[in-house]
Amino acid sequence: MKAFRALLKTEIRLSLRGMDMFIFAICMPVAVVIILGSVFGNKPAFDGAGYTFLAQSFGAVSTIAVCAGGVMGLPLVVSDYRSRKILKRFKVTPVSPALILTVQLVIYALYSIASLIFVYAAGAIFFGYQLQGSWLEFLGAYLLVMLSMFSIGLLVGGIAPNTKIAGVAASLLYFPMLLFSGATLPYEVMPVTLQKAADILPLTQGIKLLKAASLGLPISSVFIPVIVMIIIAVICVTISIRFFKWE
Amino acid sequence: METTIEVKNLCKSYAHVKAVENINFSICRGDVFGLLGANGAGKSTTIECILGTKKQDSGTVSILGMNPQKERKKLFERVGVQFQEANYQDKIKVAELCEVTASLYKNSLDYGTLLKQFGLSEKRKSLVSELSGGQKQRLFIVLALIPNPDIVFLDELTTGLDSKARRDVWKRLSALKAKGITILLASHFMDEVETLCDKIMILKRGESIFYGTVQEAIEASPYEKLEDAYLWYTDEEVENESI
Repeated sequence: MKAFRALLKTEIRLSLRGMDMFIFAICMPVAVVIILGSVFGNKPAFDGAGYTFLAQSFGAVSTIAVCAGGVMGLPLVVSDYRSRKILKRFKVTPVSPALILTVQLVIYALYSIASLIFVYAAGAIFFGYQLQGSWLEFLGAYLLVMLSMFSIGLLVGGIAPNTKIAGVAASLLYFPMLLFSGATLPYEVMPVTLQKAADILPLTQGIKLLKAASLGLPISSVFIPVIVMIIIAVICVTISIRFFKWE
Repeated sequence: METTIEVKNLCKSYAHVKAVENINFSICRGDVFGLLGANGAGKSTTIECILGTKKQDSGTVSILGMNPQKERKKLFERVGVQFQEANYQDKIKVAELCEVTASLYKNSLDYGTLLKQFGLSEKRKSLVSELSGGQKQRLFIVLALIPNPDIVFLDELTTGLDSKARRDVWKRLSALKAKGITILLASHFMDEVETLCDKIMILKRGESIFYGTVQEAIEASPYEKLEDAYLWYTDEEVENESI
């Protein structure tokens, strides 16, 4: 526990010193909320909708941090710590190198939760946003999104042979998901063909769940997104454990 | 004398290239053991197989009576390691790296005292990446000593240090040796080896070509200095002459 606490404290400091996650996971989602709120005001999401455009986007915007941490931050830090032989150094101490990876998972989970709080606060303070659905369902779905995104990150970081390839793979996952899964560009404004393509992305499925939970809509097709995300998490975790390289 | 490290018939190859072949030695408590050899002679591979960060193809290793692969947690409470490459996080500060390292062990020494002993007190708040080569080297020795180890492994101990700093490090190590710490070091510098080591092993292309005391190494050669004897053992002198 002593090692976990000392590592968590230091790694949080290092991460904040790097600023990237602070910008991408905290500042950017808050900025998106403010832009969406200012542009669309409290207009309904579409004619006759019982909720506002911002309310419709809340679930999606809250995943920006999960996406940044899971498929960008996590794979880069894992492959960086391997190529710097930090994991190897941990192998000649009494603690497991897995400890430092656990610490990273906790840090990205903390960023995601902090981001959710800031996004909600920004929506509530500036635009009077209230979550209409159930917080319990919403947080359950949020946890599931974290699980599947972080498992993808661990897989990429775990099997990428070097930091460069990890970086390319992370970008290939991050930017399409950020743009097309509804996290920044609302899913509803996309043409139908693009929507169909976006449906393949696991984050799209997660956002559908979050949206339904946050709007209190009946989740008619909850089964498919939940199954898709669980399957992704199981596959990624299994492969990354099986093929993980410490150096 | 109690044996602290014992290596028997150690073999390791990478993709059919033999890296080390049939290495045997044992080290007693309080001894300083030097592993010598040119770059690529198998020093680092031998050390890594002993530590368990690489798995040997055959042979056995025992440190303090333990198997480093199977009893890793228990063993590394009592063993400090300094690696050749710098392996620390980007943007980490000296004190942070020391604090994290100390937190990994049940019992650790006060790193402030160690930093002072190695002349790094004023660098506590500096980024590790901003230290000079010599300062980094000294910091990595400090990290290896933080667990208050019974055994230390030092790979390329004083590479990059100036003469004064090297002598200071030697003095520290002699003091540790007097306290009964066993030291295994890999080195290129014969003056260092002559000053510190009780026993040495010279490796050439993964095989041991000499194993014994420094005195024995000199006596068995036609020379009077270890450096000349070393070159004679490794045949490097002949190649130099032909240049």
